[in-house]
Amino acid sequence: MSEEVNQPKYIGAMPEDEPRIGVYVCHCGSNIAGVIPPDQVVDFAGSLPGVVHAAETMYACADSGQRLIKEDIKKHGLNRVVVSACSVRMHEPTFRACVAEAGLNPFLMEMANIREQCTWAHGHDREGALEKAKDLTAAAVAKATFLTPLDMINVPVTKKALVIGGGVAGINAALDLAEQKIPVVLVEKEPTIGGVMAQLNKTFPTMDCSI
Amino acid sequence: MVDAARQPLIEVKAYTEVEKVEGFVGNFKVTLRERAKYVRADRCNGCAACAKACPVEVPNYFEMNLAPRKAAYIPMSQSVPLIYNIDMDACIHCYKCVEACGALEAIDFSMEDKVIEEDIGAIVVATGFGHFDPTPMTEYGYGRYPNVITAMEMERLNNSAGATHGMVVRPSDNRRPQRLAIINCVGSRDKRYNSSCSNFCCMYAIKNALLLKQMNPDMDISIYYIDIRTPGKGYEEFYDRAREAGIKFIQGRPAEITEDPDSHQLFIKSEDITLGRVIEHEYDLVMLNQAAIPQPDQDHMSSVLNVAQSPGGWFMEYHPKLRPIDSPTDGIFFAGACQGPKDIPASVAQGSAAAARASRILHSDTWQIEPTVAVVWPDRCVSGKGQACGICERACPYGAIDYTKGLSAEVITAKCHGCGACVGECPHDSITQLHYTDAQVLAQIRTLLAVEPEKKILAFRCQWCSYGGADLAGTSHFEYSANERGLRVMCSARMDADLIYESYRLGAGAILYSGCHPQDCHYITGQVAGAKRAARLDKMFARMGMTPGRFRTEWISAAEGDKYARVINEMQATLDKIPESELQAEIDRLKPEMEKKLTKMNEIPGVEEAMIQVDFIVNEMQNKAVTV
Repeated sequence: MSEEVNQPKYIGAMPEDEPRIGVYVCHCGSNIAGVIPPDQVVDFAGSLPGVVHAAETMYACADSGQRLIKEDIKKHGLNRVVVSACSVRMHEPTFRACVAEAGLNPFLMEMANIREQCTWAHGHDREGALEKAKDLTAAAVAKATFLTPLDMINVPVTKKALVIGGGVAGINAALDLAEQKIPVVLVEKEPTIGGVMAQLNKTFPTMDCSI
Repeated sequence: MVDAARQPLIEVKAYTEVEKVEGFVGNFKVTLRERAKYVRADRCNGCAACAKACPVEVPNYFEMNLAPRKAAYIPMSQSVPLIYNIDMDACIHCYKCVEACGALEAIDFSMEDKVIEEDIGAIVVATGFGHFDPTPMTEYGYGRYPNVITAMEMERLNNSAGATHGMVVRPSDNRRPQRLAIINCVGSRDKRYNSSCSNFCCMYAIKNALLLKQMNPDMDISIYYIDIRTPGKGYEEFYDRAREAGIKFIQGRPAEITEDPDSHQLFIKSEDITLGRVIEHEYDLVMLNQAAIPQPDQDHMSSVLNVAQSPGGWFMEYHPKLRPIDSPTDGIFFAGACQGPKDIPASVAQGSAAAARASRILHSDTWQIEPTVAVVWPDRCVSGKGQACGICERACPYGAIDYTKGLSAEVITAKCHGCGACVGECPHDSITQLHYTDAQVLAQIRTLLAVEPEKKILAFRCQWCSYGGADLAGTSHFEYSANERGLRVMCSARMDADLIYESYRLGAGAILYSGCHPQDCHYITGQVAGAKRAARLDKMFARMGMTPGRFRTEWISAAEGDKYARVINEMQATLDKIPESELQAEIDRLKPEMEKKLTKMNEIPGVEEAMIQVDFIVNEMQNKAVTV
């Protein structure tokens, strides 16, 4: 197995290039801009060492927002991107893909979460929220300064599924997989599959039988 | 059911439990325990001769214990697979079944559990739900009054294949009931037991009422409810049908059921909200519409699969709206009620959705995983210099580190999950984690503490749980102190002691060290390593005379937004109580202690160079703060 896995390149501790960071501060409609003035975060970020371009954007995740980032990467020769917007759980894949489309390694993008973890949590402390948004953006800029390009690791795939539980959901998942020619092991702890559904009489809303 | 057994690509393993799940997306190694049935699957033809011969009768769980089964049994006549089973707890070893089976020789008392290993690419978890037992609700008398039954018991009475062949009778006298009450929300929407709604029971009550009405149009049926919730397609119409059929809907949660001990007639006392007064009615039979609850072994499965649970105990999805099928672990998906109560259409839809999510992986030759793995600096590893060590190997939850004395340690990339436990534990700073290098994390710490560090609450959070908890606090608009500054690593195991010392050296007011609950850890035992380290740090800071509460350890799941907000607010309150001058004096007094711990930090490759650059950013931030 291991010979099929590409090893990460030995990566020096520091990036070899001078950082040219672009910072994008998202309004997210009023979700962010309703609490803090994004232009003040932009002014602040724009003056940080390593940042060559800072801009605000109504919706960074929208097509127009992503287009702006991609164009700027080319126009300003950006080699790092910071997106000050929402949670990484929401849009990290979006912005990684975005910078990759502009030819940048996806791991040269860093997000600052100024929505879930800032404006939404400090709606009644606008001043505090603004200071925090600036700090979170600065921390993302600082981290971005030392980001190095990384390659995804490819792992082989065993083409077999395990479905745990032989109730109506599990049976249906197993059938759908098998119909796509994927072998399935369907495990049920009881002596018969069927789950709760097999115990039911008729079922709503059609009143047909359950087995 | 039969389709699944007929499909040649599905191997149905009934009476089998999942014991262990190891590995990662595309490459899971799963250990199954196929329990001994004492009947050979390759010989049994399902003829039932063994069951007929068996003299032992025990209650059949499948019939909610309303009907007996033999010790040689199948739970129901349509069982799939149709293979008999000898219940060894009940068997008296008379061997009559062996005799009855005759030349087939399917019964084999020497069978043992079989442990099987399977290589698996993706996993669908569809473990379903359990039923709330209403016995603790003494006001309804379940277990004391024979004619108070649960919904599942009604189901088996009403079922033509069930204990009474579909005849609904009163357990006390086998008489057919004329007056029936159904009580909704038994154990659900009830803060004493489960505060959430069980989703399908309103429709379920209406279904049973309609079925009974069809069989016996003269039956008087009342449904006691808090709210009727019928949001599905065709569901409101179904509710209309029931009202038109003459089923009574009484809004009010019954306070009490009493019984006439001679006739076993039941009396429900309830408020009728529509009438605005207390009512009492007599019934022959009462059905308690019990809550759907997590499976009794849900906690166990949660730790076998290393997936977290939401409040209430259901499995927790990656994202409640955007990724409701995915578990936080790549390659593991949820279907059906194990993720939260669901009716049949929703469970079927989720089964298909989980299959589709899994097939993305299973149709690929290779799958990409994040390269946030650990890397050893071979020239720094003391093992390579002949010193015995191996701490990294012991710290790794995955056996992903190859340690041989005399050679520098090596990370086996395919096995590394990128928790950073080895990075956090290595006493010689010889390992780093890609995308979370020391230089990168220190750069974040320095900037977050650039201005007025003594006012800041620096929160270290793991990617999977406490970062999600902080997200949920925001999504729910639970407000907390804006002095909090959060930063993310993959696991609390990565939260190196040096990072904490450095934060205090810089003058941090308070530090939150947070991660997942131990059973939820995304990295098997990563949290355990983090928790041990946090406990050590806590003791050390106490010895140094740090004000209690300035260092705090909390385990916060992605479902605990309220807890995240509360913890930060409590930390702010702690800071508020310390007079400014005293806090500054404490920070100044502890600074040399922290410096002593950090003498080797600058030797970590890249750190010294990086910190020079970071200080430009920090200076700029401090200048701006002054001009404001």
